[in-house]
Amino acid sequence: MDLNFTPEEEAFRQEVRAWVRANLPQETAHKVHNALRQTREDMQNWAKILGKKGWLTYAWPKQFGGPGWNAVQKHLFEEECALAGAPRIVPFGPVMVAPVIMAFGNAEQQQRFLPGIASGEVWWSQGYSEPGSGSDLASLKTRAERVGNKYIVNGQKTWTTLGQFGEWIFCLVRTSNEGKPQTGISFLLIDMKSPGVTVRPIKLLDGECEVNEVWFDNVEVPAENLIGEENKGWTYAKHLLAHERTNIADVNRAKRELERLKRIAKAEGVYDDVRFRDEIAKLEVDVVALEMLVLRVLSAEKSGKQSLDIAGLLKIRGSEMQQRYTELMMLAGGPYSLPFIQEAMEAGWQGDQIGALHCAPLAGSYFNMRKTTIYGGSNEVQRNIVAQTVLG
Amino acid sequence: MDFNFSDDQEQLRDAVRKWVDKGYDFERRRSIVAHGGFSREAYTELAELGLTGLYIPEALGGLGMGPVEGMVVMEELGRGIVLEPLTQALIAGAMLSYYAGPDLQEAWCAKVAGGEALVVLAAQERKARYDLSVCNTVAQKQGNGWTLSGAKSVVPAGDLADAFIVPAKADGKLALFLVERTASGVTTHGYLTQDGSRGAELKLSGAPAALLTLKGQEALEHATDIGIAALCAEAVGVMDKTLAITVDYMNTRKQFGVVISSFQSLRHRVADMKMQLELGRSMSYYASLKLNAPTDERRAAMSRAKFQIGNSMRFVGQQAVQLHGGIGVTDEYIVSHYFKKLTQMEMSFGDTLHHLGEVSSRMQDTAGVFA
Repeated sequence: MDLNFTPEEEAFRQEVRAWVRANLPQETAHKVHNALRQTREDMQNWAKILGKKGWLTYAWPKQFGGPGWNAVQKHLFEEECALAGAPRIVPFGPVMVAPVIMAFGNAEQQQRFLPGIASGEVWWSQGYSEPGSGSDLASLKTRAERVGNKYIVNGQKTWTTLGQFGEWIFCLVRTSNEGKPQTGISFLLIDMKSPGVTVRPIKLLDGECEVNEVWFDNVEVPAENLIGEENKGWTYAKHLLAHERTNIADVNRAKRELERLKRIAKAEGVYDDVRFRDEIAKLEVDVVALEMLVLRVLSAEKSGKQSLDIAGLLKIRGSEMQQRYTELMMLAGGPYSLPFIQEAMEAGWQGDQIGALHCAPLAGSYFNMRKTTIYGGSNEVQRNIVAQTVLG
Repeated sequence: MDFNFSDDQEQLRDAVRKWVDKGYDFERRRSIVAHGGFSREAYTELAELGLTGLYIPEALGGLGMGPVEGMVVMEELGRGIVLEPLTQALIAGAMLSYYAGPDLQEAWCAKVAGGEALVVLAAQERKARYDLSVCNTVAQKQGNGWTLSGAKSVVPAGDLADAFIVPAKADGKLALFLVERTASGVTTHGYLTQDGSRGAELKLSGAPAALLTLKGQEALEHATDIGIAALCAEAVGVMDKTLAITVDYMNTRKQFGVVISSFQSLRHRVADMKMQLELGRSMSYYASLKLNAPTDERRAAMSRAKFQIGNSMRFVGQQAVQLHGGIGVTDEYIVSHYFKKLTQMEMSFGDTLHHLGEVSSRMQDTAGVFA
């Protein structure tokens, strides 16, 4: 048993670190480090830079052009990106729909869609949740009716993250009402420029429009855009969830943000307040424990052993961590977290500061992070899953 | 970066697990408690497995193993809430092997390894709580030797031990000494402790002692950290078994026509217990893997681990009782004994609040396992 990475793993880390720091635009890193507003360009530019290197597809199988990294290498890459202040990779294309196209799509679909995803040129959105179908996703109602060589799609998706930038959307749609709800769902790829597709932003409590509603009004979708077989969509979507992703714990970002919390606490004069410092100390231990949990999962994957079956724990704990460090940063700002100056969220804003500049985004981040225990399978649902593994 | 156990470590685990499963059931434990909380016979059985010499080098008569082996052994003993304090043998073995001179090593190492000598750390003082620098026991030079005067509390199996490792101030500086129980000026008063194990008060009035090391502070901190790592591992075993007992009960006990494990609020409680168990296990690995780190790094790591373990033990213990309903608070049923063991470990080697203070005061700008 050994805590440390091997010399080969450390060498890999250094290689990735050097490349990231040389290629990540400084303005983008500055925004990420300071929780300022990222533009579409910040995110897509980085995706294209990664795409050129062949690293946007860092988790893809070799046969589809992935670099063939093992679990530890992927983790080190994620860590170096997070520590350097790289924007989080927009996952819908490279992480969510691509594996489904690779596993269940036909050769024509793979040729048509994968290159655009791999290069970062095409922005994908996810069409899963609906107003009436959140945790109970299988109850979804957006209908796709087969007419000749097309599907006619009618319905509404919600919580579509960054859908305002989306060019293509992958949707779970209902193609049958017979039997259990899960067995009437299909996986359909839809061009968002199609007539009948309307994207409406949803303003969140932090004042930003991170998510959208997407309306489908008699949208015509070529039948060639159906992935696999009709009514098998649910199993394709679950396929994604079957693979443990330690990234879900977001521990690399947690480490970066804990360091930022300490800097802010020092700047605001609360680091020497014993009570506040103790709260940071608790979080310090929580981050170490979460990282150890992630390393244990990685070690099991690396040695080809059966996975530890604790993915649910990673999501629950990781999301609680995200909420706690944003909360403590806001509390460190104290009264100076209260002014809500939207312009101050732009990098390089030179206006009238109220308190330190680092205070401007703190409350917004805290408010925004309330979503983390809700999305991706709410923590209550995750607890159901964990309980199943323990109680049977 | 590898958390797999070697084949030898798995075999060691199997050997201890077999001994606990076959030779130390709950009835035997209850009988040991009824007879004072320590069985010399059981301790000898641990010695026959080689466990009392785990941290003593082979050249000195032990097995010459390291923290990961210690972790594996303690976890298995924790599953059976074994009363006999193997942690003390680990501490004594390490102190004698790494800090004592050759004379003391020759006199004691083989006997500790063989189980003939039970040597325990007698460090707790009335005014000290968990502060290792507070020590009112005084060492006086007497000819070529020393005599000790002072009092130590809650010494594991103190009235039955063969010798004590005693911190005392020599010329105002902390040193460690070895005192035999049969020496003059030594009186002990034994009692049961909350988890059923044996403890004792130790009074020293000019008791003859052998100097173990003048590097008292360093050695005592090291001894404490060995104890913490062992305790964390033991706690994982206790919590693992506590959860298993609880799961069995919930899948059996019926109310309102269904097993109580079907109630969602209770299922979520179990998920939270599993979370605490795995966080605790993760930090137990961390503690054992940091046991040979440089002093400051080691001390910080042990405090982080004990803080997590403390929170985990409290939650798992309290909820296990809760989920059992009424029988959870009886003496007859097994789970209250696991809960009391977890509770006792909270107040051993520094409690959660104490270690929070340590983590807080040792905090650096960096974050994470490798920081």
